[in-house]
Amino acid sequence: MSATRNDKYKGYRGPCLDLMRRWNVTVWSEVKAATTRGEFSGLILPRSETSDDLHIVLKLGSGYNVGLRHDTIRSIEQTGYREAHYKIPEQEFPYDPRHPSVKLLGTGGTIASRLDYRTGAVIPAFSPGELYGSVPELAEICNLETEKLFGVFSENMGPEEYLVLAQKVGETIAAGYDGIVIGHGTDTMHHTAAALSFMVQDPPIPIVMVGSQRSSDRPSSDAAQNLINATWAAAHGPIAEVMVCMFGPTSDRYNLLHRGTRVRKMHSSYRSTFRTLGDIPLAMVERGTITPLKTDWSPRRQDRRVLLRPFFNERVTLTYYYPGMDPDVIDALVDRGYRGIVIAGTGLGHVNRKTYPALERARDAGVHVYMTLQTLWGFVQMQVYETGREILELGVVPLSNMLPEVAYIKLGWALGVYPDDPEAARKLMTTVIAGETTEREPHDGYLVLQGGVPEVQEFIERVWR
Amino acid sequence: MGVRKLNCRTGDMPYGGAQGILLRARARGVMCHHQPDGPSRENMKSATDSDQRSPRPPADANPRSDAVLDFPAREYGELKAADYETLGFLAGLEVHQQLLTRSKLFCRCPAGRRAGDYDAEVLRHMRPTLSELGEYDGTALMEFKTRKEIVYQLSRRTVCTYEMDDTPPFEIDQEAVRVALEIALQLDLNLVSELHVMRKQYLDGSIPTGFQRTAMVGLTGSIPFRVPELGVDRELRIRQLSLEEDSCREIADVGHRITFRTDRLGVPLTETVTEPDLLTPLELQAAGRLLARVAQATGKVRRGPGAARQDVNVSVAGGRRVEIKGVDNHRGLPLLVHNEAFRQLNLLRMRAELRRRGVTSAMLVLPEKGVPWEVSPLVIDASGVLDDCDFAPIRDAFAREETVCAVRIPGFGGLLSRRTQPGVTFAREFADRVRVVACPEHRPFMIHSDIQDYGLDPRQWRSLRKRLGATIGDGMVVVWGREQDAATAVREVLIRAQDALQGVPAETRQAFRDGTNGFERILPGPDRMYPDTDTPPLPIPDSVVAEIRSQAGETPWQRERRYEQLGLSLTAARRLAAAPWADLFDELGPTPGETARRLGSTLATRIPCHLRQGTLQSMPDPARLAPLVRAIEAGEIRPEAAGRIVDHLLRHAEVPVGQILSRYRVREGDPERLERAVAEVVGRAAGLRRQTSDSIMRWCMGELMRAFLGRVDPRMVSDLVARELATAATRGPHERDA
Repeated sequence: MSATRNDKYKGYRGPCLDLMRRWNVTVWSEVKAATTRGEFSGLILPRSETSDDLHIVLKLGSGYNVGLRHDTIRSIEQTGYREAHYKIPEQEFPYDPRHPSVKLLGTGGTIASRLDYRTGAVIPAFSPGELYGSVPELAEICNLETEKLFGVFSENMGPEEYLVLAQKVGETIAAGYDGIVIGHGTDTMHHTAAALSFMVQDPPIPIVMVGSQRSSDRPSSDAAQNLINATWAAAHGPIAEVMVCMFGPTSDRYNLLHRGTRVRKMHSSYRSTFRTLGDIPLAMVERGTITPLKTDWSPRRQDRRVLLRPFFNERVTLTYYYPGMDPDVIDALVDRGYRGIVIAGTGLGHVNRKTYPALERARDAGVHVYMTLQTLWGFVQMQVYETGREILELGVVPLSNMLPEVAYIKLGWALGVYPDDPEAARKLMTTVIAGETTEREPHDGYLVLQGGVPEVQEFIERVWR
Repeated sequence: MGVRKLNCRTGDMPYGGAQGILLRARARGVMCHHQPDGPSRENMKSATDSDQRSPRPPADANPRSDAVLDFPAREYGELKAADYETLGFLAGLEVHQQLLTRSKLFCRCPAGRRAGDYDAEVLRHMRPTLSELGEYDGTALMEFKTRKEIVYQLSRRTVCTYEMDDTPPFEIDQEAVRVALEIALQLDLNLVSELHVMRKQYLDGSIPTGFQRTAMVGLTGSIPFRVPELGVDRELRIRQLSLEEDSCREIADVGHRITFRTDRLGVPLTETVTEPDLLTPLELQAAGRLLARVAQATGKVRRGPGAARQDVNVSVAGGRRVEIKGVDNHRGLPLLVHNEAFRQLNLLRMRAELRRRGVTSAMLVLPEKGVPWEVSPLVIDASGVLDDCDFAPIRDAFAREETVCAVRIPGFGGLLSRRTQPGVTFAREFADRVRVVACPEHRPFMIHSDIQDYGLDPRQWRSLRKRLGATIGDGMVVVWGREQDAATAVREVLIRAQDALQGVPAETRQAFRDGTNGFERILPGPDRMYPDTDTPPLPIPDSVVAEIRSQAGETPWQRERRYEQLGLSLTAARRLAAAPWADLFDELGPTPGETARRLGSTLATRIPCHLRQGTLQSMPDPARLAPLVRAIEAGEIRPEAAGRIVDHLLRHAEVPVGQILSRYRVREGDPERLERAVAEVVGRAAGLRRQTSDSIMRWCMGELMRAFLGRVDPRMVSDLVARELATAATRGPHERDA
C-alpha cells in the first residue's frame, strides 16, 4: 500500500475502510452522513489504530468529536475538504551573545508535543523554534540548540541508548556548551540518570534531565515550568553533576535538583513524583534562583575535562524477592547466562533459606550477586541477623543504601567496564562513583508524611502547596 | 477560613469602585507564568488579532443585519412580542443540569457533597495549548495575558488526586452516561454511536486541568413548545446535549490571584443547548422551565441551589451572539436578556456614531511590541502631568510606585458616558476588560474624560489633552497599576475601542443580580476543543439505546397530552405533569372526565397544604385514597366532597377508610332528609341578624353542606334553600311568630 493511500484513510480498516471507499470519501472530507440515528455533519478525522474498526470519527462544527458506527450509515455525501495542519508556531530562537549556551538533547518525552492521530497519543515537538513558540521564556535564559537523539518513550530507553547519550554528552561538553538539558520520559528517567552518572564522570558543566508528568498539550502541564527551571539550572546553575530537575511540590512553585543516583520516581502520576531517597535534594530552583540545600556537590568548572566510560553489559538483572520465591527463579537466570543479579531483598537485605542452594550455584557459576533493599530507605545490614550472615557466606555482596534500580544500572556498567575481570568489577561496585551510596542517612532523608495525622494536617494547611 | 467575595463589580464611576453586588464574582482569566515572562505574550500568535483580520463565521451573527437604531429605550415590561420582533431579538439557552449519580464522572469521589472547609491547597498556572486542528483559541490567549495564580482548596472528603490533576481519569461513570442518554432520548436527539471525550479548554482556572472533559451525546432534536399564556404552540429545536464534568466554585478573585473550592468539580452534568428559537424574554423563561421539567421527569437529576444553571445566548438585529453565564434561576432571565438586547442596540448606535465620525480601526492600533507609552503617540506616561494630583486613588497609586498612564481614543469624545445598560455607561465596557485582563490590584483603576465632577479637575484634563494631542472629539482614559498591568490595561482599552467599530463583540458575560451583565471573557470558539487522550471512545450500541428507551419514563408533554385526554385543561395538565404527585395520580387511575379533573385539582390544592402543615412527609399511600376515587366513579360519593375527604383521610390516618367514606356516601332517603333539613335550617336562619339575602344563603348552604357533602348535589341544595327562603318571606314574620 502506498503511503498516500494509507494517509487518505489514516487508521481506518475493515468495514469503515470499505464504507469510505464506497462513498468516495477520505480523512479530512467534510461530509453529511445519513444514519439510522439521524443526520450528522462534520469532518472525517483519522482513527486511532488501537480503536476498533467499527466507527468513523467525525469532528462536528462545535469542535466535538463523535463516532458513527459503520452499519448505522446509509449514505455519506462529501461537502468539502479541509486538511488540518497541526503545527506549533515556530519562530527562530533569538540569539543573545550575553546568554550562556545550552544544548537540549531529546530522547522522547513530552516537553513540547502534538497529537498523534495514529495512536491518539501525544508526540513531541522539539526544534528550538517550536520550543520557543510554546515556551518563549527560554529565550531569556540562554541561547538554545537542540538535537534529537531518539524519539522513544521512556520505557523503551535502554542500554543501547545510554551509550549513545553518554557519547553525545561527552561531545557536547567538548564543544564548549555551558550546560546540557536532556528531555526524557519520566518513567525511567532515574535509570538513565544513574547510567549517565556512571558513564560521564566528573563533568565540568550541569547535565540536567527533565520531563513532564502532564503532557504539554494540556494547559496545566508541568512541562513549561520544568523546562524553564531545568534550562536555568543548566545555563546558570553552579552544580556540575548529572541531575534530575522536576517539580518539588505538586503546586506550580519550584523545582528540585536531584542527584542522578539518589532519585526515584515515586508516584505513577503526581507532578511531584521524583524524590531524593535517603538524603536531601541538591537544590531548589525557582524563577531564576537556585538555592542549594546540600553542600557536597561538584561545582561548575571552566575546563572541559570529563571521564567518559560508556560501557554496559546487558546480561544483568534486577530480581524482586518475595516470601514464596522458588530457587529455580535464580537457577533460570544463571542457566540463561546472566552475569550479574541484583536482588531487592526484604528488611535489612534478606531472602529465604530455600534460595540458598541457588545462590550457591550462582556463585559457583561466577555470577555476581548483590543485595539491595525493597524498603528503598535504609542500609543493607546483613550482619544483624543470622539470615544475613548466612547469605553473606553465599557470596552475596551488600550494596549499602544503593537504590535497587541504581544498583542494576551500576552492575551492568561495571560488568561492561570489566567484562573479564570479576574482581575489578566487584571493587568498582563497592566504590562510590557518583554519590550512589552515602555514609550517613540524615534524619530527614526519610520523610513520608502520614496524611490525616493532626500535626501533618497542620503542616499541609500552613506550608505545603 | 471564611468565604469572602473580595472582588466587586466595577461601579460606574469611578471604575472598579466597590459598588453593586456581584451575582458571581468572576474575573475569569489566567495565565501561567514565571519569570522571565517578557516575550511570551508577544510571541503567542494571537488568535484575537487574527479574528480582527478575518470576520467570524456568520453563525455568530444575528441573521438580520439591519439594526433598529431608532427604537426608543424602553423598560422591561413595556415591550410586546411584536416589539422584540422589530428588534430582531433572538435567544437560545444552554442548561447545565447536575445528574443524580453516586460518584463523579471520571473518579469515584462522592457526587453532590459540599465541603465547608478544606485541608490543603495547591497552586497552578495555565498556558494555552494548540487545538487538534492547530489553532490557539482566542479566549485561551486572552486568559494567558492575565497572568493569574490559581489556588485550589482541597478537602479529602470530596476530592482525590484526579480532581487535582495528579491522576489520569478513571472510567467514565456508567450511571451518568445512562442518565444523559435518557435525557437525550426525551429531547428526541440523534444519538452518537460512540462517545468521544473531549477537552474543552478553560484557562480561567475553574478546572485544574485547564480543560473540561466533555462528550457529545446527541444532536438535532426538537420538543413540543406550548405556552398558552404566551400564545406559543410550536416546536423548540434542541441543538445538542453533552455530558461533562462540573467546574470549581470560585471563592475569591483579587488582583492576580484567584481561589477555587473543588468539592463540586467533576460532578456529572448534562449541557443542553437549544437553537436560538426564543423570540421574547418570556419565551426564554418558559423554555428554561420546560427543559428543567424534562430533566426532572427522569427523576435522576439533582435539585436545589446550583444544581441547574443556565447560560443564555442573545442577539438583536445587527448584533452578534453574546453568552451570559451562570443564571441559577428562571425568574431573573427575562430582565437579563431584555437589558442585553438594549445593550447590543446601544453598542450598535455607538458603532453608527463612530462610523459617522470617520473613526477607523487603524486609528486605534498600538504597535505589537514594546512599552505602549514609549512606542505610541496614543499613550503617555502621565506621571509628569498628574504627580501633584489630589485625586486620592491616583495619589495612592503614585505612593505605591505604580504606573499611571493616559490613553487617547480618537473619535470617542462624549461616547464613554453614554448609557449601555440601566445605570451603566459605555465606559464600563472598557473598565471590565481592564479588570479581567490586566487584573489591577487596587480599585478604582481607571477614570475617563467624560466624567466632569469627579476625579481629575478640568485643568488636569486640559494638560493631559495637550500632552496627548487630543481634540475635544477624542476620548481620554487614565489607568493605573503595576507597570506591567498598566501596559496590559492600555492595550485592552484600545482593543475594546477597536471592537466598538464592529458593534457587539462576541463575548461571554456574567449575569448580575440587578439584571445587568458584565464582561467575563471573549466568546470561545471550536478551537478550544481537543480530544482527551486519556480516555478511549465508548460505543453506545443499539441494544443499550433500546434498553434505555424501554425504561425511560414519559416526557412532560406526553404526560400533559395524556392528562388532557383525561379531560384536564392544558394548564391543569401541565401543572400535574410537573407535580411530584403525578405518579400518585396515575396510580389512582381516575376515569376520564369529572373524576380525573376533580382528582387533579384536589391533589394540587391538598397535597402541598398537607406537606406544608406536616401531616404528610412524603406522597400518601395510593391505597388510602383509591377507595375514594372508586366511590366517586361509582356515583356513591359526589366529586365536590373530594377535597374534604382527602383532608380527613390524611389527617386521621388511624381511622379506617371505610368509616370515613361512609359519612359521605349517598344514602337512601337523602332527598327527604334534605327537605326536612332545609326547612329546619331556613327556620333557624330567621333568628339571625343577617343583612343581605346573600349572606343568609351562604350561611344556610354552609350548615347544610356540612351534613350533606358528598351525598347531594350542591345546586339542588341551593335551589331548595332559595325556594324555602322565598316561601318564608311571603309568609311574613308574624306568621312565624305564631
